[in-house]
Amino acid sequence: MNKPECMRIALACGVVALIFTIFSARLVDLHISKHAEYSKLAAQKHTLRQIIHAKRGMILDRNGEILASNLPVRKVVADASQIKDPAIVAALASQFLGLKEADVLKKISSQKKYIVLKKEVPEDIYVALETAMQKAKVRGVTFEQDAIRIYPNGETLGHVLGFLNDEGKGVQGIELTMNSLLAGNDGHRFIERDRTGKEIMLYRGTEQEPVHGKNIRLSIDMTLQSILEEEIDKTFEEFKPETVTGIMLDPKTGEVLAMVNRPCFNPNEPGKAEPEQMKNRAIIDMVEPGSTFKIVVAAGALNEGTVNEKSSIFCENGRFSYAGKILKDHHGYGDMNVHEILVKSSNIGSAKLALLMGGDKYYEYVRRFGFGERHGIELPGEIAGLVHPPARWDKLTITRMPMGHSVAVTPLQITMGMSVIANGGRLMAPHVIKSVEDIDGTKILKKTPKVVRNVIPEKTARFITNALVGVTQIGGTATYARVSGFEVAGKTGTAQKVSSKGGYAAGKYVVSFVGFMPAEDPRFVCLIMVDDAKTASNLNYGGLVAAPVFSRVAEKAARHLDLTPTLPPIPLQDTPMAKVETLNEATH
Amino acid sequence: MNTSFAPQNSSNPIQIAKALKYIAFAVVTGSLGLSYVYLKNQQFALADEIRLTEKRIKQVRAENEVLLAKTTELSSRRALQQRMTSGSLQVVHISGDKIARLTPASPAIQDGILRTVSNERTSR
Repeated sequence: MNKPECMRIALACGVVALIFTIFSARLVDLHISKHAEYSKLAAQKHTLRQIIHAKRGMILDRNGEILASNLPVRKVVADASQIKDPAIVAALASQFLGLKEADVLKKISSQKKYIVLKKEVPEDIYVALETAMQKAKVRGVTFEQDAIRIYPNGETLGHVLGFLNDEGKGVQGIELTMNSLLAGNDGHRFIERDRTGKEIMLYRGTEQEPVHGKNIRLSIDMTLQSILEEEIDKTFEEFKPETVTGIMLDPKTGEVLAMVNRPCFNPNEPGKAEPEQMKNRAIIDMVEPGSTFKIVVAAGALNEGTVNEKSSIFCENGRFSYAGKILKDHHGYGDMNVHEILVKSSNIGSAKLALLMGGDKYYEYVRRFGFGERHGIELPGEIAGLVHPPARWDKLTITRMPMGHSVAVTPLQITMGMSVIANGGRLMAPHVIKSVEDIDGTKILKKTPKVVRNVIPEKTARFITNALVGVTQIGGTATYARVSGFEVAGKTGTAQKVSSKGGYAAGKYVVSFVGFMPAEDPRFVCLIMVDDAKTASNLNYGGLVAAPVFSRVAEKAARHLDLTPTLPPIPLQDTPMAKVETLNEATH
Repeated sequence: MNTSFAPQNSSNPIQIAKALKYIAFAVVTGSLGLSYVYLKNQQFALADEIRLTEKRIKQVRAENEVLLAKTTELSSRRALQQRMTSGSLQVVHISGDKIARLTPASPAIQDGILRTVSNERTSR
């Protein structure tokens, strides 16, 4: 071979080698240098991120009774690009899902890859539909796992439990405040599907397990809740009031045992309820408390040494002129001590106690009892109420506030105020959550009773308790609150209703009774508040409308809590309404 | 000059050893390939079984949850109360003397007889 030939061959080989080198370099670049980038791109193209839904936690009562749970359902989804015979799909969908064939055909004809045919399909229907589709060899229809929230007790405790929106997020009640714990965190896995849409298990990618939601155990006792609901329902039916509220709590721990509002709603069907029905009035409604507020001035005056147990206050024989206005009592009273002022519920006596204390000191006690501030209960929308500082008072406020006027408080605040007396002067933080538990029942958070502050000494609380026992005994304003075998302490309240147009609404009253039992060692404090009961004005008093309800509730609660009676039984007593009825029957 | 055409005695003997080597290599390579295909098929079959089992487990779990939800609903207070009011659930009254009290009894003030609460009033 001559030299030029060798040169040509060498050149050709060099060119070929160069080409292969370039290809090799490119291969190295694609497979090694840009491996991560292209792997990601390939994964994006072929793999699918499948969500593994976390199970929402349950809500339980203090004894483990299920109050909110989940019902598995399916979402039927169609991929129009994979459906070969839309007519069969439409026929099966109409047969099993109750959809119109024409509607299904119209939806499928859009050629979209994700068409929701129907939500919340029960499991049994899903199984039947899937079997039918497999027989008919239908492709392009998938069934996504989903769940709906169910509240087995319907309206019972609806305001406390709340409900979920369409996206599964809490809207009201515990469902809202504890949403992050209840919801958990969804997991995911990367999967690949074959052309029929089936997952190719062999190519399953990384997987992250879901973190299921926690169970929330409430302090609510469903037996007590049912007792309270039943009696509140009867009251709502009997007096046709605008609203009725009932709260029962343990004064020693601040645990809410029952909470009822009427009107109410069914959390299983929140769409059917009016906004007014959804309000948890126990914490978001403000009312003038009336005479139940007198415990504040009595406790404050005793504690400050303004008066002692034996001090006598002249009650002006029922007419007290102050700042150009006349303050009246229901009956004319002369000299009375603090005990009698509470038993007889004297407005003038209470006003005089406040005057003796002075506005600033009195205001301090109002705030110390927890009025004018949120208690921080784990329910949404709690309001602070309205308690003006002395600088904003007019001349009459100091005589009106002690009898529960010129102040607006929530039913929960009234109950907590009475709890201070029942708990030896200590204000506890009210709470409705007892513990947070893992799905296997392991407690991961336990709510312990929290003392907010010592409002008054135990001695003063005991004195007020004795006076409040007198309220329910013969000569007091709430004899209908008595329970056979037990000593009941409590206070009635009757306040004229504030009109939305300003001033007071004529003939409309908010009547209440808040008390505790047994007086010597209280196991519960209970408030019954009735707004605008439709009854004769001479019967529309806390002692006549709300106190009998308290008595019935307390009696049943005593049985449930297995309280041992410590007093001899008292004779049966007709309710005031039954008396009126008997009288009417006799006269007709 | 010798002009006779003597047949040339050239032969290509088969190199058995070499052939066997190639054959063995081909067999081994083929077997490996086939094994790979077989194993891959087995893998797919097993994966498909896993998928079906997973689906069945999910289904059973869902059925279990449905049953739990139904049990919860049927044994809820509301359902039981409805059954009681409709008369399909009979409740037998237990008289006071048949109740064994576990908490220590405190003596009644007047006659020492312990009483349970019993003045439930009729309400309208």
